[in-house]
Amino acid sequence: MSKPRKHDSSKITRPPESYEPWESHNRIPLPVIWIALALGIWGTAMLFEDQTSYTVAQSAREAGEVMAHDAPEGGEALFLANCSTCHQPNGAGVRLAVPPLEGSEFAKAGPEVVARIMLRGIDGPIRVKGFTYDGHMPSFAAALSDSEIAEVAGFVAARFGGNAAELAPGAVAGLRGAAAGKDSWQGGAELATLVADLPPQPAMRAGSEADIDPAISDLIFAGKGDVWACTSCHGGLGQGVENTPRLAGLSGGYLAGQLRDFRDGARYNEHMAFVAKGLSDPEIDGLARYYAGLRVASTAAPSLGGDLARGEEIALHGDWPRGIPACFSCHGPSGFGVAPDFPALAAQQPAYIASQLAAWAGGHRNNSPLGLMDQISAAMSEGDRRAVADYLATLPAVPAVGPDAIAQLEGSDDGQ
Amino acid sequence: MANDHKDAVEKGRSAKRVIFAAGGGLALVALGALVLEAGWVPTWISGRVADTADAESIYFQPPTDAEIPEGKFGDAIKRGRDIFMNTSTNAGDYVGNGLSCSNCHLDGGRQPLSAPMWAAWTRYPMYRKKNDQINTMEDRVMGCFTFSMNAQHSVAGGPPPHGSDIYRDLESYMYWLATGAPVNEKLDGTGFGKVEKTELGYSPERGAEVFTANCAVCHGADGQGQKDANGRIVFPALWGPGSYNWGAGMARIDTAAAFIKNNMPLSQPGKLSDQEAWDVAAFINSHERPRDARQGDASIEETRLRFHDGDQIYYGKELNGVLMGVGTPDPERPIGAPELPIGPTPLE
Repeated sequence: MSKPRKHDSSKITRPPESYEPWESHNRIPLPVIWIALALGIWGTAMLFEDQTSYTVAQSAREAGEVMAHDAPEGGEALFLANCSTCHQPNGAGVRLAVPPLEGSEFAKAGPEVVARIMLRGIDGPIRVKGFTYDGHMPSFAAALSDSEIAEVAGFVAARFGGNAAELAPGAVAGLRGAAAGKDSWQGGAELATLVADLPPQPAMRAGSEADIDPAISDLIFAGKGDVWACTSCHGGLGQGVENTPRLAGLSGGYLAGQLRDFRDGARYNEHMAFVAKGLSDPEIDGLARYYAGLRVASTAAPSLGGDLARGEEIALHGDWPRGIPACFSCHGPSGFGVAPDFPALAAQQPAYIASQLAAWAGGHRNNSPLGLMDQISAAMSEGDRRAVADYLATLPAVPAVGPDAIAQLEGSDDGQ
Repeated sequence: MANDHKDAVEKGRSAKRVIFAAGGGLALVALGALVLEAGWVPTWISGRVADTADAESIYFQPPTDAEIPEGKFGDAIKRGRDIFMNTSTNAGDYVGNGLSCSNCHLDGGRQPLSAPMWAAWTRYPMYRKKNDQINTMEDRVMGCFTFSMNAQHSVAGGPPPHGSDIYRDLESYMYWLATGAPVNEKLDGTGFGKVEKTELGYSPERGAEVFTANCAVCHGADGQGQKDANGRIVFPALWGPGSYNWGAGMARIDTAAAFIKNNMPLSQPGKLSDQEAWDVAAFINSHERPRDARQGDASIEETRLRFHDGDQIYYGKELNGVLMGVGTPDPERPIGAPELPIGPTPLE
């Protein structure tokens, strides 16, 4: 016998027209009470816990500020914070890699020359004290204010060059104006126009401006099919914003590797998986090459309330007892990155860094070689992650800055 | 009718069961989350690190850089630290490769089991079989320059002479790192530790696979390390002309295995098994590197008998038909020698 079907009217006795369904009063089911109770306790506990972590963060920040007052002031402090990871605290540089400031022809030339170099950065071979360096120095135009540049330049020229000339912040404003829209100094050869009596400088590197493939250009600026343009999220110059990473200047090998990981599912992000699944290998390589070659000033700034002193500590020295090595021990001594597996960190968007650290810690990103970042991120507290993300956002972008990039950034809505 | 009723009751019961199960589950989840958030779960279950409490360490705690005192002595400590961290610049005339002390003595000479300076400082003067004499700390550091920093290919052609300020500054740094450590006692975390011998022995062939899987991402598939955009060494070369020479302790397979087991991959000590550590150490040390600085005019065999006999090292032995220990070619000019006026440079 088949079961009576729902709408088989002949088998169902209809209730009278006046019938109203009703239900007697029942106790609230026990489970509901449990849930309510548990949620109540949980909520209260969370409220309490948040309160304490805010208090802890607040006192940590205040302690940091107090400590900062003890540190050297003015130009020396700014020098130690901004220049010493490359040029070293004693200004000796790094043999065969980073030119010394101590006794350097450029420091001797005075604070104005130093400030001009700081504003534009260097991107070409330069000879200092008898050695040739493959100069890659970021521009500090976006990272430091006029008065800060004046202080650092004055300190560097006086301490390392023995040139005690004064440089007023107002003069830096003028130099900044003159540097706007200009490329980084193309090494010592171009700087020779600025400094008299320089020893011979190596020739400028031949420009290697490659034309961008129109198909790649379409992908970047217009999108393809139902896939949106790269620029719609990463910004017109690949500078990134908030949770969307800066791409400009990351190594091509790293960028291509990440795109392949998105495409093949080794790294997950809903949007990027959708974008990358339609990309061919040549397209991926073309995109990576384009973004690796972009030279864009930093648009990142600390935004997570992290403790910058703690962030600097982790980036430069790590916290070994907890199993956290210095960020820079692998990502390069100044966060420049080491191709192809260790991306540049300097000037990366802080919200992005913090979100990736959290993703690794929580097991949601799994494409770090040897699981290195999984372990390191898990060893970091939530406050540490914000601190280090905010610190990295204070660093100037590498490599140096191109002329169009500065001008475009200043004229666009993406710039800050 | 009766059937309908039974069905309905049955349905009601299962609905009730579902509600109870879901409710109970939810309550459990909520309570679990509460317990976890409150930090009542032992870290080995939750895998979390406490936010505020400092990680406990069984090892001696050296002071931090922030505690460097003011004044002349503090200045010496800072100079010592700068030499330690950036040796090829701040003691550049005596370094014939691109290495720094801190490449092997991690965390500025603080990390336990990476031959920390606080543990070394308290054990000198010491008798060493290596040179069959009492070694002061200055003698010991001189050995580091001679072998690990390959001073024979440096501008000076040898280690800093006795009495050099370089030793004074380095020793100030070490002495300060050992603040409060008991003298003439072997502290936990001394040296690189030890890896027990394995039944299989060691094999460079097996080690090659371990290397590719665990080391190549940083040190490069060719073991030559990696540099950043400015040519600054980020990951040191493990063999070849830019690495330690055949006289260095690290060229011995047992020493390298212990260092690797307890420190590598960076931030994942203990990841490799004892067997893997032995094998990969054998693989790394089965490559040619600068000649033993003590060889002089002696033959490799004489040098082996005099300095390496009984050591776990490939020096003076044949490996796949090739005699090990002949050294890499001497550089045309000392490493870091001032350049000739505009012309060929180390970068071109």
